[in-house]
Amino acid sequence: MAEPSNAAPTAPVSPPASSTPEQAQPATENPPQTLPIRDSKPTQPTGDAPASTDGATDKPLTPAELKKKAKADKAARRIREKLEREGNNTTSSAAPPPSVGAQPRQPTTPKKDAAGTGSAQKGPRAPPPRRGSGPVAQNGSVLVEQKKKKDDKKVAVFGHLYGQQRRVTVGGATKEVHPAILALGMQLVDYTICGSSARCVATLLAFKRVIESYTTPMGTSLARHLTTHLSSQITYLSTCRPLSISQGNAIRALKLFIAGIDPSTPEASAKISLCEYIDSFIREKITVADQVIADSAAQKVQDGDVIVTFAGSSIVKHTLLLAHNQGKRFRVSIIDSRPLFEGKSLARDLAKSGLDVQYSLVHSITHAVKDATKVFLGAHAMTSNGGLYSRVGTALVAMSAKERASGVEIPVIVCCETIKFTDRVALDSIVVNEIADANELLPMDPPVSLLVPTPDAYAPPTPENKKGGNRTPAPEPPVIPHKTSSSPLADWHNTPNLQLLNIMYDVTPAEYVDMVITEMGSLPPSAVPIVHRMVTNL
Amino acid sequence: MPSSSLALTPGLGSFLKCLKTNPIDTSIETLISLLKRRQIRHSRSCATATAYLLRSVISACRTTDSAKLIERVQSVGRRLMAAQPREMVVGNIVRRVLGLIRDEAEDDRDAEFALSDIGSESQPQTPRAYDDASLPLDRDSPSFRAEDRSSRPPLTSMFSLLSHPEPENSLPSTPGSSSPSGRFASHGPSKDVRAEVLEGIGEIIDELGQVDDQIAAYALDHIHSNEIILTHTSSTTVQKFLLKAAAKRKFTVIHAESYPNNHEATHATVSGSAVSDDDNLGLEAFQKPLIEHGITVILIPDSAVFALMSRVNKVILGTHSVLANGGLVAAAGTRVIARAAKVHQTPVVVVSGVYKLSPVYPFDFDSLIEYGDPSKVLPYEEGDLVDLVDVQNPIYDYVPAELVDLYITNLGGHAPSYLYRIVSDHYRKEDISF
Repeated sequence: MAEPSNAAPTAPVSPPASSTPEQAQPATENPPQTLPIRDSKPTQPTGDAPASTDGATDKPLTPAELKKKAKADKAARRIREKLEREGNNTTSSAAPPPSVGAQPRQPTTPKKDAAGTGSAQKGPRAPPPRRGSGPVAQNGSVLVEQKKKKDDKKVAVFGHLYGQQRRVTVGGATKEVHPAILALGMQLVDYTICGSSARCVATLLAFKRVIESYTTPMGTSLARHLTTHLSSQITYLSTCRPLSISQGNAIRALKLFIAGIDPSTPEASAKISLCEYIDSFIREKITVADQVIADSAAQKVQDGDVIVTFAGSSIVKHTLLLAHNQGKRFRVSIIDSRPLFEGKSLARDLAKSGLDVQYSLVHSITHAVKDATKVFLGAHAMTSNGGLYSRVGTALVAMSAKERASGVEIPVIVCCETIKFTDRVALDSIVVNEIADANELLPMDPPVSLLVPTPDAYAPPTPENKKGGNRTPAPEPPVIPHKTSSSPLADWHNTPNLQLLNIMYDVTPAEYVDMVITEMGSLPPSAVPIVHRMVTNL
Repeated sequence: MPSSSLALTPGLGSFLKCLKTNPIDTSIETLISLLKRRQIRHSRSCATATAYLLRSVISACRTTDSAKLIERVQSVGRRLMAAQPREMVVGNIVRRVLGLIRDEAEDDRDAEFALSDIGSESQPQTPRAYDDASLPLDRDSPSFRAEDRSSRPPLTSMFSLLSHPEPENSLPSTPGSSSPSGRFASHGPSKDVRAEVLEGIGEIIDELGQVDDQIAAYALDHIHSNEIILTHTSSTTVQKFLLKAAAKRKFTVIHAESYPNNHEATHATVSGSAVSDDDNLGLEAFQKPLIEHGITVILIPDSAVFALMSRVNKVILGTHSVLANGGLVAAAGTRVIARAAKVHQTPVVVVSGVYKLSPVYPFDFDSLIEYGDPSKVLPYEEGDLVDLVDVQNPIYDYVPAELVDLYITNLGGHAPSYLYRIVSDHYRKEDISF
């Protein structure tokens, strides 16, 4: 579930390097993971913008770049003039931004962003006319250029998913946000807590602490005020990472329970009953459910089986360990993928328990599935049309299992608690998804570059070979030197037309799933909406 | 290793350098060890190296007999193929060279058959009889000639028909010329065999150099405006194909990074900072990347292929080698991509030079797959895990023919089912298993 061992090396690498310049700055939506050059946030405080320009001009500019910059300046001037012609009311309405760090700013940001991407879908080049007129008026050229650059980095098809950028530090949170929630937010961001059920449990536990330290203000009742208090916590969490389906379901149930509390109940007993409710919810929906699922799924494992699984699902791990403890002899083939490598911790746990484990990456799915007898998959959610919404790559595994060259289909079994069922529908993976920071895709393991000196040795001469025409000359030095210095992608933010896409989930069509094992029994995927209705009506 | 002294990294560049200076046997050994150590990797580099090596083998071979040439090429070819059986292009080039020699030898035979009377049965006797007859004839006066001629028809009837005019023509000029010309007719072409074969190999080498551009010429037929193209690995053939279309049209390219075996090259290709490794002979280094043509390139991890396939219009794949049944051996991960494309009814186009087309019908697919360095999958920093688990890193995938919709070679576009015809056009039956 939580894999500190695997998340730890990736996340903490960057903050020390680039967080220092950010500290003075009130708005902290700028992710420190991103390179310092990339100050492309539209809600940039104006005081910081000149600094970033300086940073950009520090580098020697090629003639091409200068030309581009001049062009952008011109475009910005035109827009500014146009905006001024259009009327000053927009400018005055957008004047408040100086207080960027304030809470009210938070909710407006995503909305504005969404508007920006909406127009970007049609033509990423066209500067959106309405938005950000305040900053434009003050420092138009830089911001327009940054905006353009930022839109350029958004994959048009997924425009609707770029809504908000993940928060990376706790700064800027309002005082209402409980420390437990702040901590949880950070753990969610760096994938210390990862996986649908883990996130759900962690959220509920954090809410329990919020409720424990909660006192109803004067003049209102717990049932009325606690919900809004929790809402601000939830808003904060969702800026860290979009809420999972399971989190959403748990929160909905909790809110329903709060609303059902009799206003005349004394606060202390209401809080106790709430905490008890949370505990029993976790126990019922996740802990016990997991045991039930693992029990029935382990029965499906037989001696001599070769079981393929993708990435690291906690419930699949429980199942396999249980089957192993029951004395069944079988082999496990774990398929893993970049950039999270969740399968590594699963492989480690299983191998340490004495299972026969094979580990491979997405590129060798065909080979791993070749002699498989069953596929066990975890789920992030099950959609109402029977689709399995899970870690990106799951669909490939399920597809390969269903279309083996020999013609024999391998049963694909999904282990999923009913709390992960949703009434949303998804035809493909583009409707619903989550976009993670594309910088995670940059290869950034320094040990590898140390062990293999050849790319480092050969990288520096290339820009000279190419007469500096193709890229900005020597882009490596300004970039954080220890990270991805050898990677040709290190400078992707400043490379026009190059986009990196790091989506987190995909939807496996229902026809690839043979069975969904839930705590309410084993079902076909078509039964998901029925079960969901039963569960939510309870 | 002589190559190590010449160049920093052994590879195609160093091999070609040392090919000029080193004795031929050393060169053969060098290439064998390069192949064995996988220091020469891309199919085109292997093909080029093989072609150059065979050219020097043939030019070093002082025989004029085509049978001996074939034997020599076969023995070298067998050793090269044994060094790296999965590198099928090596065998392909050897087969094509063998085919060249056979063609030339046959042409000679035909020519000889036409010019001088080399009936297979009468050959041993005729030249002798001819010589015996002609030697005294040289000294004799032309007046005897008519009588001599009249005595010949009983020996060979066919020849008389064709050669009758010749003696008449040669009569006034030089009396001696008739018999030496006969000599030349039997020996000259066999000398030519070598020259012509060398010329033919030169053509193969030229073809290898131009193949990508020839394939790219078909790009505009297949890529249209606003399409979304998905590709995989850093194949130069695919890149050139896309670049050609990019000059005229605007489209989007989704590039799967093919982690862990080729992601670095893919990243370099995508961002336009491709290192000119000597295997590519630096030709591509001067190419502008797609992004500079205004083409949006989206780099995705391999796992996201299925998620994005519903928006893709066409999948364009490079390959390692193509088999006669229309299947192909390509970088690992290709098969899932092709399968995902099939599921989404997206056409899969494979671009490949004809030189990659191998006359091999696969029965044991596993034998085609090469496995690579497992530390790329699970680095040794994770020592505890490496100890416990079994790690696999296949380098290639076999993609069955039914997953491919179209092949584009330098000869044009073909259905997978048509490939066997191209195989039989390019390789001779007797060379398929030499």
